[in-house]
Amino acid sequence: MNKRFPRSLQLIALSLVAIGILVLAFSGVFTSLSRLIVSPLTSIQTWVSLQFQGVETFISASQDIRDIRQQNTALEAENARMQAQIVELQQQLVEYEILSALLEFARANPDHQYIGAAVIGRDPSPFLNYIIINRGSDDGLKRGMPVVTQNGLAGRIVQVTATGARVSLITDPASRINVRVEPSRSAAVLTGSVTGDISLEQIPQDADVNPGNLILTSGLGGNYPPNIIVGQITSVRSFENALFQSASVQPVSDFSDLSIVLVIINFEPIDINPLLPDTGTP
Amino acid sequence: MAVLLSVPLFGILTIIQSAVVSRLPLNQGTADLVLVVLVALALQKVVSQTWLWGLVAGLFVDFFSGLPFGVFSVSYLAVAGLARFLRDRIWRFSFLMQLLLVLVGTLLSHGITYLILFLGGANLPFSTALQSVTLPCIILNFMLSLPVFILTQDVIEQLLPVE
Repeated sequence: MNKRFPRSLQLIALSLVAIGILVLAFSGVFTSLSRLIVSPLTSIQTWVSLQFQGVETFISASQDIRDIRQQNTALEAENARMQAQIVELQQQLVEYEILSALLEFARANPDHQYIGAAVIGRDPSPFLNYIIINRGSDDGLKRGMPVVTQNGLAGRIVQVTATGARVSLITDPASRINVRVEPSRSAAVLTGSVTGDISLEQIPQDADVNPGNLILTSGLGGNYPPNIIVGQITSVRSFENALFQSASVQPVSDFSDLSIVLVIINFEPIDINPLLPDTGTP
Repeated sequence: MAVLLSVPLFGILTIIQSAVVSRLPLNQGTADLVLVVLVALALQKVVSQTWLWGLVAGLFVDFFSGLPFGVFSVSYLAVAGLARFLRDRIWRFSFLMQLLLVLVGTLLSHGITYLILFLGGANLPFSTALQSVTLPCIILNFMLSLPVFILTQDVIEQLLPVE
């Protein structure tokens, strides 16, 4: 072929063919033909592309799942840490509130000196309303020292060891405390019971006592300092032929949930029993 | 030698009793964990010198309690002795024996306590004490008895296998 057509003629012929094809393409003659060829190719390419994307998603997703699981584990651990921290902070907040209330109580009663103590247990016998605190004779505590909460009187120390002390609460069945009722200033005796309730006994018949009246220690008997709030009268029982009135009292402290208490360390109880002909009440 | 285990065991149990169990009352009654464990142990045939286990348990609780010293020692000694007496005479005891001894132990310790406090002048009406303290205590002790009985059996089988 190269011998029959010189090279220049070949070039010219090819150029003319190319120009012809271009002219035909621009004029739209090849459109239908190109659609016929391109459409199936596009479909095939789309299918291949989709399959590839699927495989790619599967590979990358398994990696993502692993990452998510790791993140989830880390977040769960973090969540557990945060929850524990929240509980700890809530506990600290409660302790802070109790301590600030105790501080407030100590400021309001500056005549006394206090030592704070944590409640670490209760008496194993359910008949005794005793608590055990984590301060003892090493901290200067002695038998008979009064114990208060942020709200008022809790009880008094009945036994001391070097590092702990046992406190008889005012709700104990054997507890008897000389008190006075405000505002009438009537004297009475506060007694505990096995049910944990406290009541006022030996209120004179002519005393003007009503629900809502406050009960404070009177200081009589020498076992407790005067003017420590104990509770509030909820109901009064008075019978015409009885010698005394009696009353139910709501204590100011919640003895079922004691955690921190204050011990009044500058009060020395006085034993007046030898002076009494009848030791019915302390 | 196994009786030496009673010292740390009842020491820990008494601390748990004072710090935890006594803070979980039903009405005014609380479970007596030490008594329930003592009875469960005393009913195991491989446990010898049950009276010593009872004495150790009683001494620990007496030490922690504000009651006159000896109330729990006497009660627990009596219960341990009764458990020994029964287990030697009854061929095959069951969980019912545990309940019976827990009932006897609770009534005994509460009876002595009540007598001492009543004679000491405490404000303690009998019916109130029975309803508010003793009956709830018995219920709680019964509830505690089943898991303690099973657990004690398993632990004893592991620690002191029958030869």
